[in-house]
Amino acid sequence: MSKQLFFLFIILSLFLLSSCGQGEDSIEVSLEKREEITFRPQLPALTYAYLPQYSHTESFQRHHRLVEYLSDQTDLAIRQVFPDTFDDHINMFGQGKIDISFSNPFIYVKLANRFGAQAMTRIIEQDGMAEFRGQIIARADNHDVQTIEDCRDKSWVAVDPSSAGGYLFPLGHFVDRGLNLEDFREVVFAGGRQENVILGVYAGLHDIGSIREGSLRVVEDKIDINQIKIIDNTRSYPGWVYAYSPRLTKETVEKIREAMLKLDYDNSEHKALFDAARFIGFIPSSDQDFEPIRELSQKVGLDLD
Amino acid sequence: MTRILPNILRGLKLKTKITLGVAFMLVFCGLGIGLILSNMSSKALLEEGRKRGMALTSGLAFRLAEPILAIDFLQMKNLIDNVHNQYEDVIYVFLTDNNGNVLSHTFSGGFPTDLLLINLGEQETHPVLLSTEQGLVYDFYARVILGERNLGTVRLGLSRQIMDAQIQRQRMTSLFSTFGVVGLGIILALWFAHTVTYRLNRLRESAEEVVRGNLNVHAGFSLEKNCWEIMDCEREECPAFGDTQRRCWYLAGTLCPDCKGQEYPHKMESCRACPVYKYNFGDEIQDLAEAFDVMAVTVKRHIEELTEREKTISRQQGLLKTIMNVTPDFITLQDRDLKYKFASKAFCDYFNLREEEIIGQTDFEIFSEEQADLNYHEDKQILITGKPLSKEISFNRPDGQKWLHVIKVPVYDKVEGIIGLLLTARDISMLKKYQEQLIQSQKMEDLGRLAGGVAHEINTPLGIILGYTQLLLEDIRDEDLLDDLRIIEKQTKVCRKIVADLLGFSRHSQSASEPVDINESLAEVIKLVEHVFSLNHIKIYKNLDENIPPLTGDKERLRQVWLNLLNNAADAIAQDGVIYVKSKLCSHRQRLVVSISDTGKGIKEEHLSKIFDPFFTTKQVGKGTGLGLSVSFGIIIDHGGKISALSPPPMEYLPEDFPKSDNFGPGTVFLIELPLDQKEEIETEDNNGKHCRT
Repeated sequence: MSKQLFFLFIILSLFLLSSCGQGEDSIEVSLEKREEITFRPQLPALTYAYLPQYSHTESFQRHHRLVEYLSDQTDLAIRQVFPDTFDDHINMFGQGKIDISFSNPFIYVKLANRFGAQAMTRIIEQDGMAEFRGQIIARADNHDVQTIEDCRDKSWVAVDPSSAGGYLFPLGHFVDRGLNLEDFREVVFAGGRQENVILGVYAGLHDIGSIREGSLRVVEDKIDINQIKIIDNTRSYPGWVYAYSPRLTKETVEKIREAMLKLDYDNSEHKALFDAARFIGFIPSSDQDFEPIRELSQKVGLDLD
Repeated sequence: MTRILPNILRGLKLKTKITLGVAFMLVFCGLGIGLILSNMSSKALLEEGRKRGMALTSGLAFRLAEPILAIDFLQMKNLIDNVHNQYEDVIYVFLTDNNGNVLSHTFSGGFPTDLLLINLGEQETHPVLLSTEQGLVYDFYARVILGERNLGTVRLGLSRQIMDAQIQRQRMTSLFSTFGVVGLGIILALWFAHTVTYRLNRLRESAEEVVRGNLNVHAGFSLEKNCWEIMDCEREECPAFGDTQRRCWYLAGTLCPDCKGQEYPHKMESCRACPVYKYNFGDEIQDLAEAFDVMAVTVKRHIEELTEREKTISRQQGLLKTIMNVTPDFITLQDRDLKYKFASKAFCDYFNLREEEIIGQTDFEIFSEEQADLNYHEDKQILITGKPLSKEISFNRPDGQKWLHVIKVPVYDKVEGIIGLLLTARDISMLKKYQEQLIQSQKMEDLGRLAGGVAHEINTPLGIILGYTQLLLEDIRDEDLLDDLRIIEKQTKVCRKIVADLLGFSRHSQSASEPVDINESLAEVIKLVEHVFSLNHIKIYKNLDENIPPLTGDKERLRQVWLNLLNNAADAIAQDGVIYVKSKLCSHRQRLVVSISDTGKGIKEEHLSKIFDPFFTTKQVGKGTGLGLSVSFGIIIDHGGKISALSPPPMEYLPEDFPKSDNFGPGTVFLIELPLDQKEEIETEDNNGKHCRT
C-alpha cells in the first residue's frame, strides 16, 4: 500500500514538475544582418478604374473578377487602379493613368468633353434597365404635397449636389416644371446617402426628398415604405458607362468591347462576375447616348467641361 | 530509504508529525497548485500576448488593404509606423506584396533579409518564435486578403521580454502567495496539532499516572456549565450533582426524568436528546478523555473493592497458612495426577523437605518406590471410587517407632467431579504410647490384684507351715531333721517375704501414716549402705534441700524405697562409681523431688517401660526377685507420687565434679515425686530462683 502511495506521489511530482517548462522552440534569426532592398517595378498593363463611389476594397471586390476576365479574354495585361476621389479619377484619366473608366454619365461627359473619352458599353442594372431616373418623394400623410407644383416653398432634401438620380435629375425635372432652386424654402443634402434622404422625409424633417429610383427597396426592412409616397418620376437617363482612353488602339478597344458583350448573366460561369459587380449585362454604347445629360447639365447650370 | 524514513517518522512526536504532514501536504499541494496555476496563467499570458500580436497584425493587414490597392506607400508606412511606435514591445513590422516585395517596413539602416526566409505562412505553429539579438521575438504573419485575392503579407515582431517579465511577476506573486498560504497553513497546522496533542498529552499523562497507580486523574476539561446548572436542578441526591469531573451521561442512577435509572451505555439513547448532552458533548478526543476519566474512577472503585477483598483473602490466607503451618497434622492436597498442590509445614518438616521440593511432585519423587507404589494404588482407588480412606500406619524412625493416623478423602468440584485428593495424617505415636502405658497400668493393676489374692491365700498356709515348722524345731532333737526343718523355716520365711512384697505391691500390706522427714530417711539409708558400698569403691554424694518440710507417709516403706533404689544403683555400678542423691522442693507445684542417679551401666531404652513390672529383672538368676522396683512403684503410688527413670540421666542430676572411673557408664536416674501435704504453705524456691524440674 505504502509502495503504491510512494509511486503515486512520484508520478504526481513528475506531473507537477512537467508543468514548469514553457516548451517552445525558437528559430535563430539575425536582425542585425541587413540589406538595402528596392521595389521591383510592375510590368506594363492597361489600367482599369472604377469611379471611387465606394472604398478601394469594395471597388476591388466588385470589379477584380471582371478585370481578370477581360485580361483573360483579350490576352491583355489589365490592372485595376484605385483613384481616391472623383477628381482624382478624372485627373488620372487625363494623365493617362486610366485606360478604361467605368463611371456615371456626368463624369463620362466630363471625361469625354475634357480628354476625349469614348463610350464603349453601358451596363444593364440589376433592375434590368440600362437607364435610370430619379424620384421625388414625400410622406404619404403629407396632403400639402401632391404634385410637383406643391413642392414650391417646401424643404427639399437631396442626396448630394453631384448625385445624378438623387439631385441633378430631379432638379432638371423641377426646372422643366418651372421650379428653380430659389423656389424651395431650403435645399439640404444628406451626405450622399439615399437612405438618409428617405429617413429624413419619413421622420418629417423635410417635406420632400429626391432619390434614385429603386432606393426605397433598400430601406423597406427599416421603415414602412407605405408611409412614403412618390410625387413624381423624372425622365430616364443613360446609366453607368465604360469609356476608353483615346490612346488605346481601335483593336484593343474592340477586343475589350467584344469581351464585355460576350458576357451573359445566364451563364453560370459569368453569373458570379456580374453578382460581384452588381449589374447583369452590357449593351453597346456610344457618345450620342449621353446627349440628354449634356442637356440636363445646361439646364441646371452644371459645368461638365 | 523506504525503511529509514518510517523509522525517523516513528520517533517523532505526534505534534511534529501532524505539523510536518500538514506542512508537507500544504507545500506539496500549494506548490503543485501554484505551479499548475502559474503555468496556466503563464500560458494564458503568452496566449494573450500571441492573440494581441495576432490582433495587431490582423488589424494592420485589414487596414493595409486600401493602401496596397492604392499603392499608397505613405499610408502604408504611416500605418505600420503607428503600430510600431504605439507599442513598446513591437520590435518590427513590415509589409510585402503578393510577390514578396517589401512594400514598407520599420527597420532603419537596411532590412534583415533573414526574416523573408522564415514564417512564410507554411508553419503549423503560429506565431513563430524567433531567437534574435534582441531576445525572443514572436513573428506574426497575416495575409492582406480581399475576397479570395491575396494582396500581400504583414509581418509583425513582438518581443517576449515584456510577456516574460509579466510571467515572472505573476510567478513571483504566485510563489509568495503560495508561501503565504503555506505559512498560514503551517501556523494553523501547529495550532491544530497543539490542540490535538495537548489533549492527547493530557490523556497520556493521565494514563501514565494510572500506570503509576494514581487513579485520581482528570484527562477531560472542566465544563463551562454543569448539568445541574443547565437543567436548573437542585436534586443533591443525584450522583451527577456536584460531580464536575465526570459527565452525567456516564453515571449510573442519575435522576434525570428521561434516564429511567438506566446505566451507561444504555441510557445514551435518551441522553442524546438531552440539552445537557447537546451543550456539553465534545469531539472524539474529548469523549475519549471523559471516558478515560470515568474508566479511571471506575477502575479505582473496583481496585478499592478488590484491595479490600484481597486484604480479606490475604487475612484469611494468612490465617489458613498459620493454621496449616502450626497444626502438627500432615495436610496435603494432590491433583488428579497425584501431583502435590499443597503440603503443610508439619508434613515438610517431618519428611525434612522444603515445600517447593514437594509442590508439583508425585510420591515417586518423594518417597521410596515401594511406599510410592503403595500410595499410588491407594490414591487411585480413592480417585476412582470416591470412597475416603482412614488407616493407621506405623514405621520405624531413628527416634523410635512412629504411628500415623491417615485419612484420605477425595476433593470434589462442582463441575468436574473429583479434582484431587486431600490427605490428613496425625502423629499418634504418643497416643499409642499412652495406650500401651494404659494397657501396662491395667496389666499391673490386674497383676497386683492377682498377686495380692494369691499372696493372701498363700500367706495363711505359709504361716501354718512356718508355725508347725517352728513347733517341730522345738520338739525334734535330731540334728539332721533339725537342719532340714531350719531349711524349711528359712525358705518359708523367704516365701513369706515374697508374699509380703507381693502384698506390698498390691497395697494389701499395712501402711503407717506419720510425719516423715524425707531428708532424714534418706540420710539414714545412705548411712546404712555407705560403708558396704565403699567396699566396692562406690561413693555416695548427697545434696539435700533443707527446706523440705516433713510429709505424711510410711517412713519404713519409704526407707525401703530408698534402699531398693540405692541397691539397684550399686548393682548397676558394680565397681567404682558414684551415686548422687538429691532432694529438692518444688514449692509452686507442692511437690518434692528426690533423684537418685548413678554412673552405672544404665538401662536400655526398650527396658525402661518394663522395669517397674513385677519379676522383671536384668540381674542374673538368684540375684534378684524382680520385685524391688515393683514394690517401690507401689509404695510411691500409695504416697500419691510418681516414680520414673531416665537413662542416661541429664547432667543436672549428676554432681558437678565427681571422679569418673574407667567404666563410667551412661548411668540412670530415678526420679521420685511426692506430693507435699496440702496444708503446708511453702514459699521457698530453689537457690537459683528457678522452678524445680522433674
